[in-house]
Amino acid sequence: MNDKASDVAKRVADELASCDVKIVASLPDNWLVGVIKTIERDERFIHVPVNREESAIGLCSGAYMGAMGSAALMGASGFMTVIYAITKINYTYEIPLFLMLTLRGVGGDHHKHHISNGLYLRPVLDAINMPYQVIDDPSNIGFISRSYHHTRTFSRPMAVLFTRDLLRGHG
Amino acid sequence: MKYLDAFRTLAKHRKDEIVVTSAGNSSQAWWAATRDTEATFYLDASMSLSTMFSSGLALARPDLKIWAFMGDGAFCMNPGTLMVERQMNLPNLTHILVSNRVYGATSNAGLPNFKDNDYPAIARSMGLERVFEFSNIDALEQEFASVTAGNNSGHTFLVLEVEPFSDAEQKLEQPPFDGPELKFRFGRHIEKRSDCDIFGYRL
Repeated sequence: MNDKASDVAKRVADELASCDVKIVASLPDNWLVGVIKTIERDERFIHVPVNREESAIGLCSGAYMGAMGSAALMGASGFMTVIYAITKINYTYEIPLFLMLTLRGVGGDHHKHHISNGLYLRPVLDAINMPYQVIDDPSNIGFISRSYHHTRTFSRPMAVLFTRDLLRGHG
Repeated sequence: MKYLDAFRTLAKHRKDEIVVTSAGNSSQAWWAATRDTEATFYLDASMSLSTMFSSGLALARPDLKIWAFMGDGAFCMNPGTLMVERQMNLPNLTHILVSNRVYGATSNAGLPNFKDNDYPAIARSMGLERVFEFSNIDALEQEFASVTAGNNSGHTFLVLEVEPFSDAEQKLEQPPFDGPELKFRFGRHIEKRSDCDIFGYRL
């Protein structure tokens, strides 16, 4: 991780802490490893590596019902597996949920197998009327707080989508 | 052991535990046994996620004891959840696996490998230490209190081997709540019990 990527990861952690996020549930995406390691080392958080992305949805939703702030961190592919969990738990009961995802399959992604995410990630978010905010520059990291608070104000899920250039410090 | 008898026994031994039910028949059975409108979250819409939901709650509120029901149909969809539970090892969480060897909520449709699934062995293979199993009502009646009373050293996993719902039991009333009403009823109860602020404003 270069200095810029390291700074991005630290600022992401600081933003989460400023929202009183305590639990961060994660499954890795290669682009997210720096953020995950930063959170793992940061004593302000309880980092819970989970077995599959749906478990992160359940864990964060339960934490909300216990008055504890939380965030779920996962790749775009992982997000594509959690539509059931989000629409059933978070939409049925109107439980807020904050997600941090990777914006895979767009320009700059070297992995051919993420073409599905490039084609369908944002259409799927739109299909379930789930708001999202792309964060592609360090100057926009403050959108994490704004998005997190939006979930609490409107009792709904929201996601921020990190780009490769942001997470790799190539901005 | 009859499903409803087992739940009535648990209800009888319940003190102040918070309960989370699961997809399957556990919501119907717990509603029939308790008519609880405050301290139970009927998480019907949650295939395989009731214990993760409960883990988040238990982690956030260590002052509360949580019982989390999960049907074995839900468990088969996500057995790896036990790895996360073991890792978290929350002493205030009891995972109650209700094993009826069918998909109870879908007219008792067949469960894969139902004859051979050994849930306590699966749990032990993932490192869980507090693993218990009950298949008759007398043993449950006599030992359940001690199993949950001793819930101090880590996460507890309890398997109830029960008969599937009969056709008549399948028609038991579902908990009647709309989702948001359930959220607020339950959440306000947690706020009161635990002196915390879930919704950003206290009543």
